[in-house]
Amino acid sequence: MTINAADAAVHNAASRRSIWSRAWENHAPGYLFLLPWLIGFIGLTVGPIISSFYLSFTNFDLLTPARWVGLENYQRMFTNDRNFAAAMRVTFTFVLFSVPLKLAFALLVAILLNRGMKGLPLYRALFYLPSLLGASVAIAILWRQIFAGDGLVNQFLANFGIIGPSWISNPNYSLWTLIILSVWQFGSPMIIFLAGLRQIPQDMYEAASLDGAGKWRQFWKITVPLLTPVIFFNAIIQTINSFQSFTPAFIISNGTGSPINSTLFYALYLYNEAFSFFRMGYASALAWFLLFLIACFTAFSFLTSKYWVHYDD
Amino acid sequence: MTFRIGRRQFLMGSSALIAAGAAGFSPAFAQGNPLRMIWWGGQARADRTLAVADAYADAKGITPLEGEFLSWNDYWPKLATQTAGGTAPDILQMDYRFIVEYASRNAIAPLDEYVGGVLDLSDFDEDQLEGGKVGGKLYGLSLGANSVAMLANSTAFEEAGLTVPGMDWTYDTLRELGEAFKAANIRGGMKAMSDASGAEPMLDNWIRQRGKALYTPEGKLGPDADDMVEWFTMWNEFRDAGYIVSAEDNALDTGAPETSMVAMSKAALLPSNSNQLVIHQSVSKDNLTITSYPRIAAGVGGGHYRKPSQFWSIAGSSQNKEAAAEFLSYFINDTEAGKVLGVERGIPCSAKVRDAVAPTLSEQDQIALNFVANLGDLLGPLPASPPNAAGEIDTSLLRVLSQEVAFGARSAEDAGKFFVEEATAILNRAAV
Repeated sequence: MTINAADAAVHNAASRRSIWSRAWENHAPGYLFLLPWLIGFIGLTVGPIISSFYLSFTNFDLLTPARWVGLENYQRMFTNDRNFAAAMRVTFTFVLFSVPLKLAFALLVAILLNRGMKGLPLYRALFYLPSLLGASVAIAILWRQIFAGDGLVNQFLANFGIIGPSWISNPNYSLWTLIILSVWQFGSPMIIFLAGLRQIPQDMYEAASLDGAGKWRQFWKITVPLLTPVIFFNAIIQTINSFQSFTPAFIISNGTGSPINSTLFYALYLYNEAFSFFRMGYASALAWFLLFLIACFTAFSFLTSKYWVHYDD
Repeated sequence: MTFRIGRRQFLMGSSALIAAGAAGFSPAFAQGNPLRMIWWGGQARADRTLAVADAYADAKGITPLEGEFLSWNDYWPKLATQTAGGTAPDILQMDYRFIVEYASRNAIAPLDEYVGGVLDLSDFDEDQLEGGKVGGKLYGLSLGANSVAMLANSTAFEEAGLTVPGMDWTYDTLRELGEAFKAANIRGGMKAMSDASGAEPMLDNWIRQRGKALYTPEGKLGPDADDMVEWFTMWNEFRDAGYIVSAEDNALDTGAPETSMVAMSKAALLPSNSNQLVIHQSVSKDNLTITSYPRIAAGVGGGHYRKPSQFWSIAGSSQNKEAAAEFLSYFINDTEAGKVLGVERGIPCSAKVRDAVAPTLSEQDQIALNFVANLGDLLGPLPASPPNAAGEIDTSLLRVLSQEVAFGARSAEDAGKFFVEEATAILNRAAV
């Protein structure tokens, strides 16, 4: 009995070892190839994330060692920081308008491109181009020229006798120029929509048109429901991106969020706190709150998704 | 067809890479540590600075210095990050605004022990030396004095049939010029001046003429609510009368020279600094010159001061402090170095260098030099360096409030009171 048990144990150990060694043999090269990325990921991403969580409870100012202040940073955010409120307002307005507009525009273009026309790859590339350029510094500077008082937009409006304001430097409109800039970068959701549209079986449309459904009805009853998984994916990605939007506002207002904080995006505000005012601890707290916000939004989207996203293939 | 690398080849390949990497690094170790320096500024400054550094290295037979330069906005995040990581360059350019912050945290080193030794300051202007002191110790060597100055587009003044005001001009003159530019209506309605209600140096100058300062030596706020209400009310008057550019136009100015109201031909006058005439001229087709800021009333002086435009400081973490101090001594005292540097950073603080440089200067450099040298009764005492939170009060309070008033989102009365309340709160928070 005991001998048998010992035997079994030895046997088990041996087989376990062989499983491990076999796994190692099979996957070692894989992990080895993964190693450079893994080191970078742990050293440059995971490490800073963890330390920023710690720093969010300190008054770290980059120059002197961090001192623990507990929840003070988080408290200040909600009780004693009018710029935080301004940044939240700007960011939420931006997300609320830019994401739906961008998705609608991307879907529209995708449907147009999906109808099979000559030179389709060329058009696809052309429409994708703004997404490659959109986040660049050059485009942000170009945007200033287009929407300035004597810019392209107002020169166009002048043809109709309308004297437009200086869109980019008027607090009532400046955020909208950035929303338009974001909508203009509809390329990547468009490509994904295009792929989604290709997945919808053509026979459904044929059956529907035989039953007398018009184009509009087909769109709402076939295209949209079958496309909901793609819409869902795009909506989440774009929402996260919009929350983190930084470059255009930074370039257009030279990092100030001007005029009157009307383009003070959350990420821009966070950057200013960290690097202009040296409040790295507070900025870390802001970053964690942004993460929390994005997580809430994403969780909310996933929870509601079962009511409107159809995975029926 | 798939491409495969066997484990053996992979290992051989990677060890070859590591070997190559090591080979690439080894000469750097063999060279010893060259002095590293970092500054903000454009290409012209970099060319001049590196030329002086190379000449020094040649003369001393040492390894060439390593220089790095960035724009003002990118400079401070980079320097703060490097300081936090303990990798700040030996020599770094420091600003009057940040010197207290860096000195009080030992991020820059006191230089007193090298003075009289490797660091020769026998010929250095006393007031500029004072400007580099924090708590009685010398932390920064001024690279040149400058002063606030009103940039003026003299071509536009000629077009309007006017002359650029002299150093005795007042805010009332500004009103007259405002009317004159309105009447002249040149270049599609060019105004007399940009909107300076959010320009901290202009406010500081105005407050100083009233016998106060923007910040007291104790680091408290100088002006009270009445002062600030008057300030915002005055600019409202100018804006409503059309003497200065509209709120919308003024908001186009992001601080870069090419977006300034003078560069965009929207205003003939722009508050600036004496050493910035050169950079503004480089982006303007018109002839530019400088004059003083306006006086609050005829005969009232004392608003201006000779400000150290920037300093060289030595990092607290530097391993080569003495060698760095020796190089800085050359940088500020050597006449040949002075000729290369010109007045690009400001007027040299060594009388000997100033005399050597003067004949070699361009016309506009001469203007700047003469302006700073001949401030007369406009010259007031050097104020204490601003408290830690001054930068925040400038960017996130004064500029925002001035725009709120300009766009009509807030009354001048409200803005004046709010400024004092909020600035005091920011100062208190930073003092903790």
